[in-house]
Order: sequence, then structure tokens, then C-alpha cells
Amino acid sequence: MALAVAKKPRRPGRRAGGPARLPYLLISPAVLLMAGFLAYPMLSVLYYSLQHYNVTKPWRNGFAGLDNFSALLADDLFWQSLVFSARWVGVEVSLQLVFGLALALIVNQSFIGRGLSRAMVFSPWAVSGVLTTTIWILLYNPSTGVSRYLADAGIGSYGTSVLSDPDTVFWAAVLAELWRGVPFFAILILADLQSIPRDLYEAASVDGAGRVRQFLHITLPHLKDAIILSTLLRAVWEFNNVDLLYTLTGGGPAGATTTLPLYVANTGIEGHDFGYASALTTVAFVILLFCSILYLRLSKFGGERS
Amino acid sequence: MTTRTPRTRTAGRRAIRRPAAAVALVTALALTAGACGGDSGEAAGGEGDGKGTIEFWDNNGGVRTPVWKKIIAAFEKKYPDITVKYVPVPITDVQSKYDTAIAGGGLPDVGGVGTAYLANMVAQNALEPVGDRIESGALKGKLSPGMVESVRAAGGEGEEMFSVPTSANQSVLWYREDLFDQAGLDAPEDWDAFYEAAEELSDQGRNRFGFTIRGGAGSIAQALDMMYAQSGVDTFWKGDKTTVNAPENVEALERYAGLYKKATPAADLNNDFTKMVAQFDSGDIGMLLHNLGSYTDHVKAFGEEKIAGIPLPPSRKGAPRTVPSQPVDGLGLFRDSDNKAAAWKFIEFAASHEMNSLWNEEAGSIPSNTDAAGDAWIEEAAPVKAAVEAVNDPRAKTVQLPYYLPDWNSVSKADNEPAFQKLLLGEMTAQEFADRLAKDLNEAQAEWKEQRKE
Repeated sequence: MALAVAKKPRRPGRRAGGPARLPYLLISPAVLLMAGFLAYPMLSVLYYSLQHYNVTKPWRNGFAGLDNFSALLADDLFWQSLVFSARWVGVEVSLQLVFGLALALIVNQSFIGRGLSRAMVFSPWAVSGVLTTTIWILLYNPSTGVSRYLADAGIGSYGTSVLSDPDTVFWAAVLAELWRGVPFFAILILADLQSIPRDLYEAASVDGAGRVRQFLHITLPHLKDAIILSTLLRAVWEFNNVDLLYTLTGGGPAGATTTLPLYVANTGIEGHDFGYASALTTVAFVILLFCSILYLRLSKFGGERS
Repeated sequence: MTTRTPRTRTAGRRAIRRPAAAVALVTALALTAGACGGDSGEAAGGEGDGKGTIEFWDNNGGVRTPVWKKIIAAFEKKYPDITVKYVPVPITDVQSKYDTAIAGGGLPDVGGVGTAYLANMVAQNALEPVGDRIESGALKGKLSPGMVESVRAAGGEGEEMFSVPTSANQSVLWYREDLFDQAGLDAPEDWDAFYEAAEELSDQGRNRFGFTIRGGAGSIAQALDMMYAQSGVDTFWKGDKTTVNAPENVEALERYAGLYKKATPAADLNNDFTKMVAQFDSGDIGMLLHNLGSYTDHVKAFGEEKIAGIPLPPSRKGAPRTVPSQPVDGLGLFRDSDNKAAAWKFIEFAASHEMNSLWNEEAGSIPSNTDAAGDAWIEEAAPVKAAVEAVNDPRAKTVQLPYYLPDWNSVSKADNEPAFQKLLLGEMTAQEFADRLAKDLNEAQAEWKEQRKE
């Protein structure tokens, strides 16, 4: 009697007795790209943070140990730029979230001209950082901008320059970045809003819930993960913001708008001190890593849905 | 009693994975943002056969592109075996572009190199010495001795030259003749006349200002011009200490910084040279301190008859002028070039009488080729003629700035420009600012000297 033995199905890519090579082969391009464009630069920064490396003073280059790190603890500019970065991130992300959420709720409603309104809300996101700066520099320019026309109309005085006054430059820069950043939140939140089942609102309405209660008990909980992820991403981008502030204020006046990455750029590019700049970057990395983990833990990101 | 739905293993893993993925993304974004630096490769290169393609980086690309295109076309006509690949680099990015190429490779065969950053490039062993090539070629005895001296001093390697000077600039006090005439003011040929005009031409209620100050990038170079010209101090070093914080210079700095917001727009605090020149050319301002390079912009804005330019006045009537040395522009031959013979032909051609004259006429600056210095166009351009005369005035004292210091750029820019803004805002006194600048310079000089001893 012949026994029919069912053959065990072979796993894709595995030859009889051989290792499963195909999956590794398939992911190898991604791994190589990540190694080249993520791992190498990151390790390179870590390496240079432990070196004295100034291209204009080759005689001083060499192993520094923790010298760069101890130097930054005594560096007033480091602390000043770190505090400014924290303030910048806090204000920008909060305002962008509030305005982005409000705009998303508005353009999620049905009304005539909704398509055009959505396009207008999202359009600043399509403008590059440097172009955004150019627009705002022109608006703030005391000779050609808004203040000139206001002065012509008898409001305020000529020569008013919000970017040159340490008391006004922060909010002037915040406004410019807000214009660019709000659409990011609006887009993400709108996408999530559209996935909320209408039945929930109908059921809540039947139960007598008003619009505020519907917002608090249906909309916001549903948006939680989108809000957490978008605020986290935006916080990182704002922390690393260089393009807008560099071109709008150059970190000035008198260092009043110098973020930590801007200080890194000045130290590395202008000062040629890549060793110290790398140490500053490493510290920024550790701070962001710590804050990100803390934020995700406290917000219980992804917890409820799973 | 509440019943908990047990979390499946998969669900638990997903819950862990999502924050982990977010953290990974965040950290990667953060750390790669600062990735920089690299190894400076060993110099290679060779003479080549004097044919083929050479790459040329223009260190003021955009502004000078048209004139370089003309020079390159003439060169390729004369040397049909050589092709020049022209790369325009914006003047504001040129140092970082060179530094990046030195660290990571990709330097050109020939590049525009100013004395302000020559020492940095020499320290990185990027440039080929060119003294012998000049002595044995067509440029022997044809280059302005003053510019040759500046290039030698800026290289920081004694008598050796690391670039062929092509032009020099000179600070010019530009003023609107029409506004001066309307106000019945004399030309600002002494310092009292300058400060009086700055005050008289200012009327903030009508958006009129007597002067525009450079408060942003490049502010310290302009401040040094104003300090030494007013004070009459004629050397930058007194022994091993800088004269930047000498009492005469501090007094001059205080008077100069005092113009801010009284005779200048408040927006000047962020002015780099482009904003400053644009501000002046908008028509609301009486005077500007900038070099010859902006002459064509002023003529375009106001016409030749309404604009005049004079050298900075001497410290007092009858005294010799004291002016800090201005950066000299030049062409460098790169060590890594595989075709140095062809590259050198291009440098020689660009610095020849005809081409050097053409370039400087279009740039509105002072030619390095001594044959070009006598050309007719200089006689016709009054500000250029005045600058040439000031440069050649035997009584004039040039205060040699320490461009040779590897720290010169960081000390005179990133490290102290924010402090200069504090001075303008009244958050720092002139004495405090000058002392801070002097401390940095003295330390940089001491380190440089120490390094040369070793």
C-alpha cells in the first residue's frame, strides 16, 4: 500500500535545506539606504563630538574626550539658544495646533466654495521656507511693507521695523512660521475627521448631545492619535527650524532668535568648529529623544486603539 | 464587575511598535540634521597636458557672471583645446562651499579667492603656491605691489603667494549730491561735516535718514573702517595687543554707533550689504559707506549726476588718511587639479591687461594689472579714480587687518556680530564691545604665533 505523503509547502525564497535569503535580499536596498543616509551621518556626528575638529586649525585636531561637552555646559549661548528653542517650539506647536484644528473643523463642513477654501487653507504648505521668508520680509520691511502704508495713513511711525526690535521680533517670526505651519495640522486633522463615522454624531444627536459635547466626546478622542503624532513631528521640525529664522532674522537681533540648530549652524559653518558643533547636535539629539519618549508615554500614543 | 478584554500579543506588540517607530523617526530626524564634517583628503593633482576641460568657481556668481562669460569666451577662442566649465557660487556661500569641497572632495581647478578667507584655505592645504609661476610667466612685474603684499600677508606663509590678485576694493562714502544741495550742505569731506549731514538729512516723520548703518552680516568690517578712519590710529597691533580698544577707537565707535535710530532707520540692525545698498538706493537716505562694488547700482538708481563717492575723510584736516586694508580678490590654483597647466593658462589670461581691465570696469573696482590701472575708463569713473588715488596716496596709512588669522572670520563675524547689535541697541557700551573684540583678537593672535613656533 502506497502512502501518500503530503509535501510540506516550501517557504518562499527558501531552497531545500538553505537559508531564507529572499526576504533579506528584498529588504537590503532599504537597509543600505538607511545605513548610508541615517546610520553613517548619525555615527559620524557622534564620532566628531568626541574630537577637536576645526578645519582652519588642523594643528588642534585630535581626540577631545568629553571636552566639547564640558565646554557647552559653561557656554551661555548654548543655554540661551536652548531656552529660546523650547519657547519657540512650545508657542509654535500650540498655536499651529489650535488654528489648524479650527480650520480643519471649518473646511470639514459643507458650504458653497468649500473646495476653494480648502485649497486656500492648504496653499501656504506648498510654499518653500525661503520663499515664505521673502514674503514676510517684504511685509515687515519698513520702507515697502505694511508699516510704511500704515504710517502713510497716519497709523504708527515711519521706520518701524518689527524684526529689528528685540521686543517684537519673536512674535513677528512666530506669525510668519504660523502662516506656514497651520496647514500641516489642518491637512492631517481634516483627513482624520473624515474617517469619523457619521453614525456616531447622529446617535449622539438623538441622545441630546450638543455640538460642544459631540466635539469633546467624539471628535477629540478620535483625533487623539493624529494630534499626538502631528504635534510630535511638528515639535521636532520646529526645534530643528533653521531655514525660516536664518533667512528672516539671522538669529538676531543680538541673538534674540537663535535656536539651538541655528547656533549649531553658526558654530560649524561660520566658526568652522565641527567638533563642538557635533557635540551641540548630540546634546540636541538626546534632549529630543528624551522628550519624545516622555511625550509618547504620557500621552499613551496608540494605546486605546490597539 | 468590569470585564477587561485581554490584549492579544499582536495588539500589544503594535502598541509598542507605534511609539517606537515614532521615536525612531524623531531621533533620526534630529541627528541627521546636524550631520556634518568629514576628512580632508590628501592633495593629489598634476600638471596635465595643458588641454581638456577645467572647472572654474566664480566666488561672486550671479553678479559677475556676464563678465566672466565674456572672459571665458575670449579664452576659449585663444585656446581652442581648453574648455572652461563655469560654476557661479553666490558670494555669501563661497566659504562654506569651499570648506565642504575641501572636506568631501570636488574642488575646482581654479577658483575666485578673496584675502578674507585665503588663510583658511591655505591652512587646509587646498591651494597651490603660485609665486614661482608668476615669476616665470607673463604676469611677472605686472601685478600691483600693494595687492601682492596683501595677498602675501593674508596667506600667512611669509613671502609665498597662494592666489593671483585680480582686483581690490576700497571703502567709499557714497552720498546723494542732490539731497546735499537741497539742504545746503557741504560734501562730507571731514568728520564734523559727515555727522552734521547725517543729522540734518534725517527727518523721521518723513521717512528720511542721513545715513544707513550696517548692523547685520559684515557689520564689524564697516565699524573698523569708521573707527580707524576717525581715530587716526594707523596700526592694528601694538606689540602683541590689538589697537581695537585704544581710547581713540572707542571714542570713534561710540560716535558712530550713536547714529543708529537717530540718523538711520531702525531696520538697519539686520542690514547685510545687499539690504543696506537696497535701502540706500530706495531714495530715502543721504549717505552710505560701502565699497566701489555698488557704484553701478547707485548710478542705476539715481543717475551719475546725483551720486558722488569719496574716500573716508582723514581723522582731522591735513592728517594722512588711515584706512583698514580691504580684501583683495584673486584667483587660486587648486592643489587637487589634474590639469594645472591649463588652469594656470586661464589664470594668466584672466589677469592679463585686457581681461583684468574689462573685469574691473564692469565690477567698478581697482585692477591689479598695473598696465590696466592707466586705462581711460578709470579717468571717467570719478569714484574709482578717487579710490585709486587714495590707495596710491603716499601719505595714506593702511591699517593691515589680520586676515591671516584662521580665527579672523569667526571673530569678526559669528562671534561678535550679535554683540555689535547689542551695542547699537544700547545693551552694551562701546568700551565693552571693543574690549570683547580685542580679547578675542589677542587670543587668536597668540594662538597663531604659538602654532608657528612649533
